[in-house]
Amino acid sequence: MAEWSGYLTLILQGALVTVQLTLMGSALALVVAFLAGLGRIAPWGPLRWLATAYIEFFRGTSIFVQLFWVYFVLPFAGASLSPLAAGVLALGLNVGAYGAEVVRGAVLSVPRDQREATVALNLTPYQRMRHVILPQALPLMLPTFGNNAIELLKATAVVSLISLTDMTFQAQVVRAQTGSTLVPFLTILVLYFLMALAISAGVRAFERRLTAGLDGVR
Amino acid sequence: MTGPIIRIDRLDKSFGALKVLDGLSFDVMPGEKLALIGPSGSGKTTILRILMTLETISGGHVEVCGEQLFHMQRGGREVPADEAHLHHMRRHIGMVFQHFNLFPHKSVLDNITLAPILTKGEPRAKAEARAKELLEMVGLADKAEAMPSQLSGGQKQRVAIARALALKPRIMLFDEVTSALDPELVEEVLLVMKRLAAETDMTMLLVTHEMGFAHEFADRVLFFDKGRIVEQGPPETIFRHPTHERTQAFLRKIIAAGHRV
Repeated sequence: MAEWSGYLTLILQGALVTVQLTLMGSALALVVAFLAGLGRIAPWGPLRWLATAYIEFFRGTSIFVQLFWVYFVLPFAGASLSPLAAGVLALGLNVGAYGAEVVRGAVLSVPRDQREATVALNLTPYQRMRHVILPQALPLMLPTFGNNAIELLKATAVVSLISLTDMTFQAQVVRAQTGSTLVPFLTILVLYFLMALAISAGVRAFERRLTAGLDGVR
Repeated sequence: MTGPIIRIDRLDKSFGALKVLDGLSFDVMPGEKLALIGPSGSGKTTILRILMTLETISGGHVEVCGEQLFHMQRGGREVPADEAHLHHMRRHIGMVFQHFNLFPHKSVLDNITLAPILTKGEPRAKAEARAKELLEMVGLADKAEAMPSQLSGGQKQRVAIARALALKPRIMLFDEVTSALDPELVEEVLLVMKRLAAETDMTMLLVTHEMGFAHEFADRVLFFDKGRIVEQGPPETIFRHPTHERTQAFLRKIIAAGHRV
């Protein structure tokens, strides 16, 4: 039994890395999603093309390949990253590309009437977005952002391939040392599930807070 | 200003192959109250939307308060207006929409104070004091803290009028402001507009299907058909003694549909 508790500690250490990757990756994904999502509907052509190219590229290639490029190929271009930094970068850029489409869709779904009212009130394009469009688009983005965060959590498992000691990596270690597959993989199954539940609950709570004043609008 | 506050000169507007305004010209004098009437698709709403810069123009010129709306001078040449010029021009003009277009995520008070605070840099306290005066004027002093979703259509439209007035525009545009309202709510909005017309020297352009109201409200009535002015004059003339066959036919149809003239 004492031996199992040592292994459990190992897995929990891995869980910490997984949580860290998820939080940092999501933060990066969120920033990138807004930049690229708003870039796609910007009035300036080159910005639109850049955003579109980024989105199509990162949605169109696998996270696995992207991770290998960031960690093993970028060093040849002189940019060596720690495994954690490489993991966060690959996960953030990958999920950010999906998030960008969510941002774009939500912003475009705010009724045209609203934009016209902001023009009639002579707000600047930045003020229109900041005070009228985004506050109404944000509640529409949240449920999908929650899905994306859960996708990102599950995708963190690929970082074990670049020797980052996340939860899946540690489970492999335990499996190799004990010869038991059931115990370590049942443990991380439950842990992944609990983390996903926590994300869902967090997003729902935030959504309730955001829409508190919007009763009966949609 | 002694000249017209709005000059529309050979204005063209097309949506694709559809010509909505066809070489339209007319002037509006400061303080004038204009009613624009005519069948749907005659281009009257498009004129208001062009004046509010919600539509671009396909040809011609529009002058507001002595300056070109869609053109500016650069290096001695006339070039299309940029966003900065449009921003500079829009401060003269306010608009009230058919569907109110209130911001659903902001309280009535915040709907009214948002633009004065953001575009004129007014201190919040001053903007709120003025907003409360305006709410008083439209009879909604007790609704300052309400959300738009808690208001009736007539109340929403009165808030929208207060919101447009908060920026003190010299020209107000009313685009079928009672068309989306239940019949019993129309009167409260028209009352506010009548008071506004009586108490201010603002220039007002009104697109409406309420002929009775147009008759009472307007100094001059413009009858539009197919993107042109068919006939214009004092309401008494247009409504009682229209000379043009198309005006007569339009008014007959309106009366047959049960509207007062």
